[in-house]
Amino acid sequence: VKLTIGFTQVQQILRERFCERRLPDRLEGVEAQYKHLLELLRRTAIHGESNSVLIVGPRGAGKTTLLQCVLRDLQKEEKVQKNLLQVHLNGLLQTDDRIALKEITRQLHLENVVGDKVFGSFAENLAFLLEALKKGNRSSSCPVLFVLDEFDLFAHHKNQTLLYNLFDVSQSAQAPIAVVGVTCRLDVLELLEKRVKSRFSHRQIHLLSSLNFTQYLERVWTQLSLPDSFPDKKFAQEWNAGVKTLCEDKSVEEVLQRHFNSSKDFRSLHMLLMLCLSRVSVAKPTIKPADLLEASRMCFADTTANMLHGLSILELCLVIAMKHLNDVYEGEPFNLQMVHNEFKKFLHRKSNSMYNFEQPVVMKAFEHLQQLELIRPVDGSSAKVQREYQLMRLTLDHSQIMEALQKYPQCPTDIKQWAMSAFG
Amino acid sequence: MEVLYHFFHRNLEELLKCIFRSLLVMFWCFEMTRFEILMPVCFSSFAISVEGLSKIIINTGQDIFIEGCDEDNPYVAKVTRLYGDGESYSHKLGFVQWFIRVSELPVNKLKLLGREPHPQEIFYYECRNCDNEVNVESILRPVKVKHLDSNDPFPDSADKDTLYVKLSWDSKVFRVVNSTVVESPAEPAPASSPPSCLKPSLPMSPSCSQSAATPRGPSRRTPANVEAESLHSATKLSASKCLSAKRRNATARTPGVRKRLELSSECLHKDFKMQPLCRTREQQGYIYISNTKSYHHFLTVSLIFLQISPGTPQTPRHATPSIPIRSLQTQQPANILEEARARLHVSSVPESLPCREQEFQDIYSFVESKIVDNTGGCMYISGVPGTGKTATVHEVIRCLQHAADMDEIPSFHFIEINGMKMTDPHQAYVQILQKLTGQKATPDHAAVLLEKRFSNLAPRKETIVLLVDELDLLWTRKQNVMYNLFEWPARRHARLVVLTIANTMDLPERIMINRVASRLGLTRMSFQPYSFKQLQEIIMSRLNKLKAFEEDALQLVSRKVAALSGDARRCLDICRRATEICEHSAADPSSTGLVGMSHVMEALNEMFSSAYITAIRCASTQEQLFLRAVITEFRRLGLEEATFQQVFVQHQALCRIEGLKPIGVSEGLAVCQRLGACRLLLLEPSHLGVLQRIRLNVSQDDIFYALKAD
Repeated sequence: VKLTIGFTQVQQILRERFCERRLPDRLEGVEAQYKHLLELLRRTAIHGESNSVLIVGPRGAGKTTLLQCVLRDLQKEEKVQKNLLQVHLNGLLQTDDRIALKEITRQLHLENVVGDKVFGSFAENLAFLLEALKKGNRSSSCPVLFVLDEFDLFAHHKNQTLLYNLFDVSQSAQAPIAVVGVTCRLDVLELLEKRVKSRFSHRQIHLLSSLNFTQYLERVWTQLSLPDSFPDKKFAQEWNAGVKTLCEDKSVEEVLQRHFNSSKDFRSLHMLLMLCLSRVSVAKPTIKPADLLEASRMCFADTTANMLHGLSILELCLVIAMKHLNDVYEGEPFNLQMVHNEFKKFLHRKSNSMYNFEQPVVMKAFEHLQQLELIRPVDGSSAKVQREYQLMRLTLDHSQIMEALQKYPQCPTDIKQWAMSAFG
Repeated sequence: MEVLYHFFHRNLEELLKCIFRSLLVMFWCFEMTRFEILMPVCFSSFAISVEGLSKIIINTGQDIFIEGCDEDNPYVAKVTRLYGDGESYSHKLGFVQWFIRVSELPVNKLKLLGREPHPQEIFYYECRNCDNEVNVESILRPVKVKHLDSNDPFPDSADKDTLYVKLSWDSKVFRVVNSTVVESPAEPAPASSPPSCLKPSLPMSPSCSQSAATPRGPSRRTPANVEAESLHSATKLSASKCLSAKRRNATARTPGVRKRLELSSECLHKDFKMQPLCRTREQQGYIYISNTKSYHHFLTVSLIFLQISPGTPQTPRHATPSIPIRSLQTQQPANILEEARARLHVSSVPESLPCREQEFQDIYSFVESKIVDNTGGCMYISGVPGTGKTATVHEVIRCLQHAADMDEIPSFHFIEINGMKMTDPHQAYVQILQKLTGQKATPDHAAVLLEKRFSNLAPRKETIVLLVDELDLLWTRKQNVMYNLFEWPARRHARLVVLTIANTMDLPERIMINRVASRLGLTRMSFQPYSFKQLQEIIMSRLNKLKAFEEDALQLVSRKVAALSGDARRCLDICRRATEICEHSAADPSSTGLVGMSHVMEALNEMFSSAYITAIRCASTQEQLFLRAVITEFRRLGLEEATFQQVFVQHQALCRIEGLKPIGVSEGLAVCQRLGACRLLLLEPSHLGVLQRIRLNVSQDDIFYALKAD
């Protein structure tokens, strides 16, 4: 019973960590960036200094985590706590300035908001918000923090009105605001219009991890191990020892090296560890190297190649015929008639008529391949063309086809040979 | 309901036309007081009459209403002299002493009054620079003006047509005014008043106001009675009102729009408290009603409105825009670096703008001359961002405002709009009108009102200085917003000075059609980017002898910025960042030294260096390999574009060379997508899979440089 409770707790703690539900207590590897952002926002809150900053980094590098950690730590300070209003916007949600303005007004609880409804037209809302910010001043109004997630999408709004106005407020003697943009695009400044760009302070915080493999391994270890505060001390010790042996295993190291080579971001690592964790149960109390191998196999599985395993023999034959056509014509598009001819050539060489299919059946199989998006029509081919003659391209790589054939259950030998032969 | 209202208004209009088909005749009383050999000839009084109705006699010394932009609130003035000009004195003019209404005062000056103004209150207007000559044809009717002592309460009389004077206004301050100045010496006493038939010179005769006070009364009468009543009230309607209405018919430019807007405002005003405005409108309503059978409809409609108005949803109509007040005091700068940082912030307003003396002088003299001459004009100011265009204009306005306060130049009204701060170019009208009069209107209506304001003779207007920032955003397909902005200053009575700001020097040639560019004129000015010396001076003047930077450090910043853009904002931002770096790098926070070269270099690197190279260095092995594969494939093809499939073949080969396990297609696509997300690569939409085309977003040399340094 005690063991079961222990496992529930382990699952809960680690899952929270891997799903990024709980912020880490301390950020690793980004101390300088953390300090820069914390100081910047603290000055806005305490001194009423307006600022603008961009956080740039690849996906999964921990941009939002950094910001959330900074905000959490800021809120702990007495001076800041009641002195900072926050407005959170996301470029994927607020797809134009009209919606963004309503959302800002709503989150700021300005006086034209009743309940959750914002009154007034777009023009009125803009004028109202600008008037409100203009009336404020550095010493008496409450600082406002604007967080713009997916910042690059805001740059695509008409005239960049919202960005211009936010940056303009941050550069003039109005209510103190801090604008924090979060984006993964390195060229984001090139998207800004020159007058918007001039008003931006050009502070950028880059989150580019220069992590090496040893640090990566360490990170895996800390991510998997239980904290000291875990209630069942004995259980925690055993678990941590198990994790340590796991990390020292040669095959595990190889798998992790492969992951590290592929991507350094922590989100993909968390995905891998999550898969491992879900294989742990009371009966199997530790993570074994085999679990990690299995999880890694799942992570790297080729999704389209896996789809080929479910095809019928006829469909597979058509795919092979297309591959041969691609070889012969160097990637030129093909149509059903050409594929069918290629297939017939193969049948012709065979004496037995095992794969003799009627034209409509072949057509049906061809359409099924199109539905699975294994083939797709060439751009610009008009719908007027008969279906048999519509030009298509194969969206599979040859290596994927060959790999799928190896794993295809009970694949006829002659088909395998046909696929491997150089020309039809 | 709306249809009904349209119907109602169309009929009303027809009826009014019918009444005023009779010609307006205006003639002079042959009561010349003086005959001079030279023109002009002066008169002591004159009469206005509408054919078939009674006439009104206006004497010198009498208070009158003069037609203005707002029909419900005409201008108030006292006649001082009347004279004729031209052939057989056909051009009739008058000199007046103006009074100013509360609604005509600049909104921002109202607070000088120190109390709530009474709606019937007017102010004796003492301003030298206003035109006090009016055309007699613009006189509407006489009015009663009473002087009150400044401490007396306003009498709450029911007579809404009496106006009260307590103070005088000379465009700067309110003063107590003497009663002898205001009270007309020749107040028409009952004895000397014109014959009884001319009595209705005051529009609210008792019987008239009585019928208006019981608006539902006529519904009980027979149609014949109603008609008689309506005719009766039509005669009671003072001739002046007819005059004004007639003129309104003649001058209304876009009647359709106007009618609708009036209608909506009427609906809003139909409150339980009957304003005089409403009363007159209802009288007009009766005129119409007597001719049709839908009077009851009208009545029900108005009743519905009466019921609805209290029950409408609680829209926050009088919401004041404001940000909450902070709970704790802002902390004052504690050390030199913090102090420097506060002064270097772009938002802190410097005492003077160095390095823009020439531009300042040019704009100042341009605006000043226009204000002094009571004329209008346009000026176009261009320059790249961050060269102090808006700041200089604001500085000019500040100085002019100071001069106006010192009484060196006539006072003026400054309005600022910004093309970026509006959602649509036509909102410019709304914002100008709102800042000018405090009125809210739709763009079309605002355009009509402004057009009227700038084209009509309105003698007591101050010069308006209008700053239009980011002019290029006011571009529309027909360019009518720009056209109007540049057309108004050229009007004779407009007294409008328009200063426009945009980034490009050749904006008029590039985007404006000829008639707009021509009206903009040739007064142009361009702000050059700051040179390094100027930038240095700007920082020095902001720091104001505060010793926070080393000399060399400042020079480095200004040289670097001047070489790149000459943007003063950038320069200040870099300096600010450098103080932060300096503060953090010091081991002991209390004893920080000066900001030196190293700190500035670090700040410059942060802001100017591109992150691409670092990003490539920090990328994972497979991502780096993929970039190399892209370059190899480009070289093989001799093109700058390849499909994923082609690159992937190269990638597999490179993996084998590097001794890595080849990756699958899905993984390869994921690597490619990651590079595409940070824009090291440019990709086609991802649904194309292996067929998507790839381009590089960084130069090949950069990639080689980044990868070689490893």
